[in-house]
Amino acid sequence: MVLCIIAFFVFSVLSIFSAKYRPLARKGFECVFRTVTLRPCDTGLDDQIKAELVSAALKRSPAAARFLNAHFALLSWIFVLLTAASFGYMVVGVYNFYVYGNCDGPNAAGACILNDLTGDYGRFSDPKDLVPPTELNGITVGDPNASVKIVEFGCFTCPYTGKAEPVVKQILEEYNDSVFYVFKPFPLPNHNYSFEAARAVLCANRQGKEWELRDRIFAQQEVCAADGHLALKELARQAGLNMTSFDQCYDGNETGAELAGYVRQGKDAHIYATPTFFINGKAIIGPKPIEEFRSAIEEAK
Amino acid sequence: MDVRGDFPIFQKHPAIIYLDSACTSLKPRSVIEAEAGYYRELGACGGRSSHRLGRLTSDKVDESREEVARFVGAAPEGLIWTRNATEGLNLVALGLDYTARKKVVTTSMEHHAVLLPLMRLNEEGRIRLAIIEPDREGAIGIEAWKKEIDRETALVMTHSWDNVTGLGHPVREISAAAHEAGALICVDGAQGVPHHRTDFRKEQLDFLCFSAHKMLGPSGIGALAARRELLGKLKPLLSGGGTVKTVSGGKSVPMDDQTRFEAGVQHYAGIIGFAEACRYLRKLGMDKVEGHEKELARLIRERLEDAGAAIYGKAGLEGHGALFSFNLEGARPHDLALLLDKEDVALRSGFFCAQPAMEALGAGNGAVRASAYIYNSAEDIRRFGDALEKVRSLYK
Repeated sequence: MVLCIIAFFVFSVLSIFSAKYRPLARKGFECVFRTVTLRPCDTGLDDQIKAELVSAALKRSPAAARFLNAHFALLSWIFVLLTAASFGYMVVGVYNFYVYGNCDGPNAAGACILNDLTGDYGRFSDPKDLVPPTELNGITVGDPNASVKIVEFGCFTCPYTGKAEPVVKQILEEYNDSVFYVFKPFPLPNHNYSFEAARAVLCANRQGKEWELRDRIFAQQEVCAADGHLALKELARQAGLNMTSFDQCYDGNETGAELAGYVRQGKDAHIYATPTFFINGKAIIGPKPIEEFRSAIEEAK
Repeated sequence: MDVRGDFPIFQKHPAIIYLDSACTSLKPRSVIEAEAGYYRELGACGGRSSHRLGRLTSDKVDESREEVARFVGAAPEGLIWTRNATEGLNLVALGLDYTARKKVVTTSMEHHAVLLPLMRLNEEGRIRLAIIEPDREGAIGIEAWKKEIDRETALVMTHSWDNVTGLGHPVREISAAAHEAGALICVDGAQGVPHHRTDFRKEQLDFLCFSAHKMLGPSGIGALAARRELLGKLKPLLSGGGTVKTVSGGKSVPMDDQTRFEAGVQHYAGIIGFAEACRYLRKLGMDKVEGHEKELARLIRERLEDAGAAIYGKAGLEGHGALFSFNLEGARPHDLALLLDKEDVALRSGFFCAQPAMEALGAGNGAVRASAYIYNSAEDIRRFGDALEKVRSLYK
């Protein structure tokens, strides 16, 4: 009775592709219908499934077959619940894909994927599409003449850009004198207040305190995404910025044009996820182990 | 008895151990060829068309009627083609006149094909049904019959061999008791005719119903052997083409012979195949068939007892065919049959269209039935026993 629920779904899907599964799907449906109307299932489908499984187990391990045979109903329920949970996760995944552009949602492992299916962003989804940027403007660290140039496109409210931050700092510490690091803000439209956060950091950059604010924003991403301007201004205050200048810059959108330039560069580079790093042109997408960065840097030297 | 090579199905399914012959039997090549031969070489209507193919078909049907009647020791003039034993039993039960005598005697061990038409007549008040209950082993002694059959009895209906217990009935004695009381007897020979020498005349039967498909013949064809003089007492179930001499002015004149029960174009291919099945069994010899099955019955019982199965019906092998219904403790019959199927053993599970019989035997949840035939061997039964032991290990 229990397995018919799964059988109904599985055979219904298979029925789309092959007519031979339709009678089984029908049996599954009848069984499910009888079950939900509180009548015993009389199609025999679950008995057939049980016999198939127990017989297969009997060929390999009589003890396992005995256990399966004796506890089939319980095991079926566990299987059904696991399947239901799995189906639930699938639904959540589809929702996440629709809302966030990836199946794992805003906290996905990997990278923040752009969710602009109808615009320019959505056209690319493959590392081989990426085009390394030629302009090296942005929030920079190090000697512009260094042999290794690291360009990062990141979003301040993207959890993965935040997750990559410790590695970025570690790299800058290790390769202090041999790399030139450029951060290009690339706010993602599917993250709340991402553009505002980017503008705030660019304003802080004008006061030479971009790292102070940036660290705080990464540490308080959820607060920024929830409270927006208030949170960003509070963090700017905590970062020790001159608030008069900051307010003027931020409220007056003085860094809007600059930010638009970085976004255009990101689009030209066919960025589709943040963070995306280019180490002398070689792309690394998402927060990766430091070894991967070291290896790319050594290769680029 | 080495006839396995005659059955083409074993080329397709060489590993199968077919122990479901009580449901339907497998078919030898000669039967398949005979049936196909009709479509290849004749293909016409019998008893109607006067062209050469029609005449050839009519001749073949007549020849087949003689062969089938001869197989059960009946007169071809009294042999009616039916779809199966069920139709024959319905024809007798529903076709007799119960004005003078209303009582019909049967047993709770009967197949639904016997019980259901009688229960219907009983509910409609057309008969008074007396049902004899068996003892705990499913047996009904002749005394129980004699006690129930009286001068009010119009008809006695019973089987010659039981499809649940595999036991034979004392048909000749029951027949004598019925005739002594002036009643008619109709025997369900579905399980008896395929496996045991059956002699309509010697057993003094009035009606005998049997199916081709249980005796190596095609499905969809059976026969009702009747005493010729009783045909006039039966009302046909169906009317139509071939059953009347004339239809005019709103009146019809039925045929004199048995063809008045055979409405419409008949299953000629099946009839020819049926005759070939009788010919095949006759050539083998029914004594040899019985002997072979007796040995198989011994082996099956042995293996069932070894596996600790609960066997329904009388202990021992006397009067027992190669058919056993059984259960294993803790196992549902349907599960057992499915699991044994995975071990290449084909069995039937359930109530075998005889639910009252199963309840009388204490198998209210059904049972598994193993029924052998001429194509089964001692090796088959050994493998069946091994498979049963293997499946039984699941319930220890």
